[in-house]
Amino acid sequence: MTSIAAATPAPPRARKLVGAGRRQWIGLLYVAPAVALVVVFFLIPLGMTAWMSLHNWPLMGEHSFIGLGNYAAILRDTRFWNALKFTGYYTVIVTIAIFVVAFPLALFVERPRPLTNLYRTMFFMPAVVGFASASLLWSWLLNVDSGLFSPAAYDLGLIDRKFNLLATFQPAFWSIIAMVVWKVAGFTMIILMAGLQSIPQDLQEAAVIDGAGPFARFRAITLPLMRRTLALALILSVAGSILAFDQFYIILRGGPRNQTLTAVYWIFNQSFVSFKLGYGAALSMVLLVILVALSLVQLWLLRKPEGLD
Amino acid sequence: MRNLIAKLALAAAVLGGGISAAAAETANIWVRADGSNFMPRIVDAYNKAHTNQIKLDIIPNAEIIPKYGAAAAGGTAPDALSLDLIYTPSFAAAGQLEDITDWAKSLPYFSSLSPAHVKTGTYKDHIYGLPFSADASVLIWNKKLFKQAGLDPEKGPTNWAEIAADAEKVNALGGNVKGFYFSGNCGGCNIFTFTPLIWASGGDILSEDGSKATLDSPQLRGAIDLYRSMVKKDLVPAGAQTDTGANFFAAFAAGNIGISPSGAFAIGALNTQYPDIDYGVTFLPGKDSGWSSFAGGDNFVVTKGTTKLAVVKEFLDFAYSLEGQTILAKYGSLPVRGDIAKEALKDLDPRYQIAAEAMAKGRTPYSVVFNDLINSANGPWTQMINEVFFGDDVDGAIANAQETMQSIIDQAPQK
Repeated sequence: MTSIAAATPAPPRARKLVGAGRRQWIGLLYVAPAVALVVVFFLIPLGMTAWMSLHNWPLMGEHSFIGLGNYAAILRDTRFWNALKFTGYYTVIVTIAIFVVAFPLALFVERPRPLTNLYRTMFFMPAVVGFASASLLWSWLLNVDSGLFSPAAYDLGLIDRKFNLLATFQPAFWSIIAMVVWKVAGFTMIILMAGLQSIPQDLQEAAVIDGAGPFARFRAITLPLMRRTLALALILSVAGSILAFDQFYIILRGGPRNQTLTAVYWIFNQSFVSFKLGYGAALSMVLLVILVALSLVQLWLLRKPEGLD
Repeated sequence: MRNLIAKLALAAAVLGGGISAAAAETANIWVRADGSNFMPRIVDAYNKAHTNQIKLDIIPNAEIIPKYGAAAAGGTAPDALSLDLIYTPSFAAAGQLEDITDWAKSLPYFSSLSPAHVKTGTYKDHIYGLPFSADASVLIWNKKLFKQAGLDPEKGPTNWAEIAADAEKVNALGGNVKGFYFSGNCGGCNIFTFTPLIWASGGDILSEDGSKATLDSPQLRGAIDLYRSMVKKDLVPAGAQTDTGANFFAAFAAGNIGISPSGAFAIGALNTQYPDIDYGVTFLPGKDSGWSSFAGGDNFVVTKGTTKLAVVKEFLDFAYSLEGQTILAKYGSLPVRGDIAKEALKDLDPRYQIAAEAMAKGRTPYSVVFNDLINSANGPWTQMINEVFFGDDVDGAIANAQETMQSIIDQAPQK
């Protein structure tokens, strides 16, 4: 009896609460698959990596807890810092190279003109090839004895002795840059093109009426309005370049003379050549922190300026 | 319909009956891809003659170590493994392998098993690995090109000066023909074929127990000068400088290389895949005389705690029989039992005899960090050979490699 009495005044409010609660639960249900994916494939592995990085964890045999020992070792690991330095150098060069190629391409294919679709498809094509396959293709193209570039130049009489493009640092490095630009520029072009197309045409027209030249319009209208697109393209390019591995592994094996070892390559070597999984995990954590910091800096640099829009 | 059901029932009965009647055990064995020629043959032969069975998995060369490590951590490691012999010390040091000392020593032919294999299979006086397949490094030369160059096609070089002189004469034929080939960016290839030149002249790159790097020697310097002089005279194709091992065999097999250091495996591979190439096999010589060889191949190791030990031992016993050794020899591995090697090889290409002799006296460096020192594409040995063969600063490269190798050895886990 008391229970019924107690229950009767409550219903409206209780029902409302239940309803709101249920809606929240349904919302949770909708995002659950995504949350589960993130937890299973990102958060748990990330936690395990952090846990492993605190251990001396060989591929085989017993592992033991060593606290921050791996991180202390990283501070003394000059080869890792050299690899990181090279990765930074590569990232700067390749990002500039990609934008230098992709921006004109985007301007070129943005407007409808005869064969635009053909051009767009052509420029985008290499982006659908996997990095590993593209690297294998180029490692053949670059081969000095049976490839394309050097033998072709020799047969055409441009050089009097076959030149091994992969034997010394500069030609090897620029060959990789060429390959990556060939492979990635089309993708960046599409992103930039979408950004260009989202700029309202009347802004440009108004500027023309005000007497602004093409360069002034590009600087004062196109670039500021593409801020977000640029940020996206830049972050994708920088993050991708910092994690570069396939092309250096497949085409150069980190050579010539270990001058093209990237950070990820070094992590791979420590983990699967030297079998130091714990140390590899610690290196990965360091790289993760660097990557997150860099992405934050880029977002901050390309943030929306106050007072605009 | 009833008919079909009856058939299915019958089939089920047969299958079920088959399994229960045999009551045999099946052991799982892994081998790296290098053994993909002979391993399936010997497993087939064993399975036909025994009630116990072997299930064989072939794993790509570069993946077998990490894959095995992952499988061992997850408790799904194979019962046994045919393992590149240079890894045996580090696997044993990791506590991953079954101690088979007593069984090994009880084998009547234990003393005639390949000494290089047994040495690398031994860790702290216990035996963890026994020889399974073998490959010895040798020097091969193209008889057709020798003849064209006016050299005696039946006589291979017997010292360094002859290597350089013969290579130069062959090279003079011009066109696509080159005098000499080696994989200039491959640590594994060069420990196999370049260090025997040093050993044959009395030097070494590691101390006997692997605790000291000994790169700073006149013998190493001399062997480097031999290769450098040939590179300088343009006797070596330009691709050698960046070859990470892909062309180690293929370059000679194309038929326009005069001389190339190689391995016993090349005999089988040339005979079956390139029967048109007329080639000779000789020892890798020392500076003035003498010869040496790298004894390579696989050790047979047993995963610690396997329940199929009896099957694994039965299989290894079979591999050591004359029948087993003959199958191995026929399909590309040298025999690992010295006492019956001649008999196992008697019906095969006589050039195998040279390789078998090289194997018997072959050497293998001993180190728990062999992979880091030598085989790693980014290790000090690989970097050094590329710098000293093609670079400008030979002394600096040697000193740098000596220092790096010693520090890797010193930092290795001491157990």
